[in-house]
Amino acid sequence: MKFPYCQHRHSSPNPKAPALEIKGLGVSYSSDEKFALQDFDISVPAGSSVALVGPNGAGKSTLFKAICGLLPIRKGHIRVFGHPLGACHHRVVYLPQRSEIDWCFPISVLDLVVMGRYVYLGWFNRPQKKDIEIACQALKEMNVLDLIHRQISKLSGGQQQRVLIARALAQNADLLLLDEPLNAVDMTTRQTVGEVLNKIKAQGKTVIVATHYYDQEEGRYDKAIYLKEGKKMSGTDGK
Amino acid sequence: MMHYLTDPLQYVFIQRALVAAVIIGVLCAALGTFVVLRRMAVVGHALTHSALPGLVIAYLLGGSLFAGALIATVVTALGIGFLARNESVYEDTLVGMIPNIMFAFGILLISTTRSFRDLFSMLFGNILGITNGDLHLIMLISAVSLIALFLFYKELKLFTVDPNYAQTIGMPVKFMHYGILLFLSFTVVVGIQAVGTVLTNALLVIPVAAARLLTDRLGRMIALSCVFAVLSAVGGIYLSYYFGSASGASIVMFCSFIFALAWVYRFFRR
Repeated sequence: MKFPYCQHRHSSPNPKAPALEIKGLGVSYSSDEKFALQDFDISVPAGSSVALVGPNGAGKSTLFKAICGLLPIRKGHIRVFGHPLGACHHRVVYLPQRSEIDWCFPISVLDLVVMGRYVYLGWFNRPQKKDIEIACQALKEMNVLDLIHRQISKLSGGQQQRVLIARALAQNADLLLLDEPLNAVDMTTRQTVGEVLNKIKAQGKTVIVATHYYDQEEGRYDKAIYLKEGKKMSGTDGK
Repeated sequence: MMHYLTDPLQYVFIQRALVAAVIIGVLCAALGTFVVLRRMAVVGHALTHSALPGLVIAYLLGGSLFAGALIATVVTALGIGFLARNESVYEDTLVGMIPNIMFAFGILLISTTRSFRDLFSMLFGNILGITNGDLHLIMLISAVSLIALFLFYKELKLFTVDPNYAQTIGMPVKFMHYGILLFLSFTVVVGIQAVGTVLTNALLVIPVAAARLLTDRLGRMIALSCVFAVLSAVGGIYLSYYFGSASGASIVMFCSFIFALAWVYRFFRR
């Protein structure tokens, strides 16, 4: 099987391989800039949850973007479920920070969440009833089904975050990369996101969450990795 | 009263102009919706001005004005996209620079011919002077562009609202960006027939801006933009017929009037 939007051949996840394996990774935004992330190693077993902790500018989003193929890799390699980048597109989903979305675009919540199904549709195919049902289920899990027909420009910050997570859920991926999902959200959203993260983990999926609020969420993750100025810090407290 | 509407229709050139106006209006508004939502209105402005040297060279060589304008706008669109990859020159700098150079070059060329009547028609359009050949070309380009817009509608939505996500699921985003620029060039060349190089961007942007004031749903926005653009184009032709005004300028003024009405409606609806 080939991916609908590119000619990469689809590879099924290797059950014995870690969900994510990175060795000696070096990433920069352009070839003449210094590394935004360097000498980064990590192995995340399938089914685990990891917190990626660090201040703004530590390299958390850069790492996620490199895993998704949004940034070129200058050093090292990344393997997802035992395969090189690009072979498992539909198995990985990246939840960007809210500021990266054009919230003024005139579409409804349902339209945005259904976009999580595009990876399975490809060119010329319109979303089917089944895709709409999956999107509705994801909205229900995030407790925002009542907003289904609301325009995305009319959502609060917390609602925007829940809708974005619903889109990630609709993709039904096995590796979720969530960039600051709890940043500047209300208590209800924080609670809902927490419950959904537990549920995803219980389904055997792998979750990596970038955060700078680790103190409040420590018990939720199997492991924490600390980043500072583009480098992985040793020790459990990031020192 | 009805004779005011029907009288102009006895002339074949008016009939031709009206058919062209409807097609151009629909194309400009439909593509213009994505131009506005992708914040590419300035690029549209740049491309319209870049068409001038192509038009003038084609005129001087006795070739097809359409082909001349198309080559000039496509070269500019792809040139801006290519040069912007060099990060030491920002894309908006190129967008502000290249069209001015192209426009000045066009003026320079036409000034050597001393034919300012033709320059006027290139700058401000002459929809009443459209020939059968022009009309067929307008139909062909519009059909291709509108079919492409329909086929890639889903992808255009995602590419506009969240380009990073589009890329992560394997969409060829660079190719799509160039594709939009290419179809924008086609639309600009068609629009130039109606309102000229100086005013075409108005037809791409103003109907969409008016529709945006009245709805926040994409489908309705495209439909309303098309209605406004067609109304403006047809209304502009009637204005031009009865008052002897320049057709391109009349179309744009009609369009601006609709925008003003939409703004007032929204203001009082609040």
